[in-house]
Amino acid sequence: MMKIHCYERNFCVSSCSLVPKPLPPRMETHFWYILPDEVKSSSLLNQYLDLLSPCEKENVFRMQGDQLKKRAILARALVRTTIARYQINSQVSPRSLKFRKNIHGKPEVEWQLDEDWRPPPLHFNISHTSSLIACGVTVDSLIGIDVEEKQRTIKNNILSFAQRYFSRHEVELLTSIPDTEVQRQEFIKLWTLKEAYVKALGRGFSGAPFKTFTIRYGAAISGNFNSEASEIVVESSDDPTNLTSNWEFTLLELAGSHYAAICTEKDNACEGKGNVPRKLTVWKTIPFVEDECVSGTGAVVIIGGLTESEVIT
Amino acid sequence: MAAVSATCVRFEPSLKHSIKLNQVTGRTSSLKLVSVGWARNGFPSLRSSCFRISCSAKPETVQKVCEIVRKQLALPPESELTPESKFSALGADSLDTVEIVMGLEEEFDISVEEDSSQNITTVQEAADLIEKLIQKKGEA
Repeated sequence: MMKIHCYERNFCVSSCSLVPKPLPPRMETHFWYILPDEVKSSSLLNQYLDLLSPCEKENVFRMQGDQLKKRAILARALVRTTIARYQINSQVSPRSLKFRKNIHGKPEVEWQLDEDWRPPPLHFNISHTSSLIACGVTVDSLIGIDVEEKQRTIKNNILSFAQRYFSRHEVELLTSIPDTEVQRQEFIKLWTLKEAYVKALGRGFSGAPFKTFTIRYGAAISGNFNSEASEIVVESSDDPTNLTSNWEFTLLELAGSHYAAICTEKDNACEGKGNVPRKLTVWKTIPFVEDECVSGTGAVVIIGGLTESEVIT
Repeated sequence: MAAVSATCVRFEPSLKHSIKLNQVTGRTSSLKLVSVGWARNGFPSLRSSCFRISCSAKPETVQKVCEIVRKQLALPPESELTPESKFSALGADSLDTVEIVMGLEEEFDISVEEDSSQNITTVQEAADLIEKLIQKKGEA
């Protein structure tokens, strides 16, 4: 017996029911997110499950409990549907995409190569929390993203944790914050930025141990955490004068409930033009059901970095 | 002397238990250093061609690790937690895993290197690493 919900416009799931998008141009980032709580239909969830590879399905079933299974399905469905939207060629559909890990374990698309066809230099990275799953996409630039719930607390003492894992400058910064709630927020922001950087590098946790680099941003330098968003930089702890200047960061407040950090490579070709800010477009999505461009709305608040929020109508 | 920090392919449980060798730290010539991948989307990947033959960690160690994991991940009491349980399958993200490692360091008074902490994806792996580090400390 089929239940027809009015919001399920597509019963026959195929890639043509995804609203197609052109690939992001260079110096632009596309950021897609899904809120698991908005996916209430088990038949929709099954449609998503159906897109997954056998290996991904196995991973889903290994998850303990329905919520974790759902999250795992949505994460893979988000990646597959997001990449398939870009109409790479007629062969690419959410189900047909293949993935592999690079030498360090970072997931990447395994394009089915053809004589006459060269795959686009598309990069992606995903991150999930229990209440939000995100996928960032760029062309010609490495990307790493991390999302955390704004209210996230840690079990350990924040300063003890920072002393163990963060750089000396970051510990000093956190120690200097008198208000424990502000301190906790700054800790979570720093964590997401550091995670995003390591994920962009794609070398795994041990490839860039957290202690070996410092993230600094404008508010941190001035000590005023209510100041407007300003540039975020990363520097090597061993050599603080060496700003690893080919990485740029954006820090967002998403949907009022999450911090999201995005780390991408700067475009070297633009060097002569000065600091051209990267453009960012954000969509909230329920694949096959609806997409909503939320850049420029209250759902996306840029709190760090020089990015411009692009609204696409 | 080579420090042993390597990801290892696990034997099937039955085979592991039937090969009881003295756990020798750092001196086994069959061990090699390999690089490890930690997939950020929660799919841990072990890529290694070395083998580790070891005794199982003491039950008390496994038990303590389970307690720390339960607490960190706020697992409901009825949830299943075995030595083979993968942290990611229990809902641990990277921050949780790092917190678990920190909790283990404090509980057992050990220090886990960054690249070793990538190898900790299950309770059993954590317990085995702990015992190895404790033993190394004892020898130092």
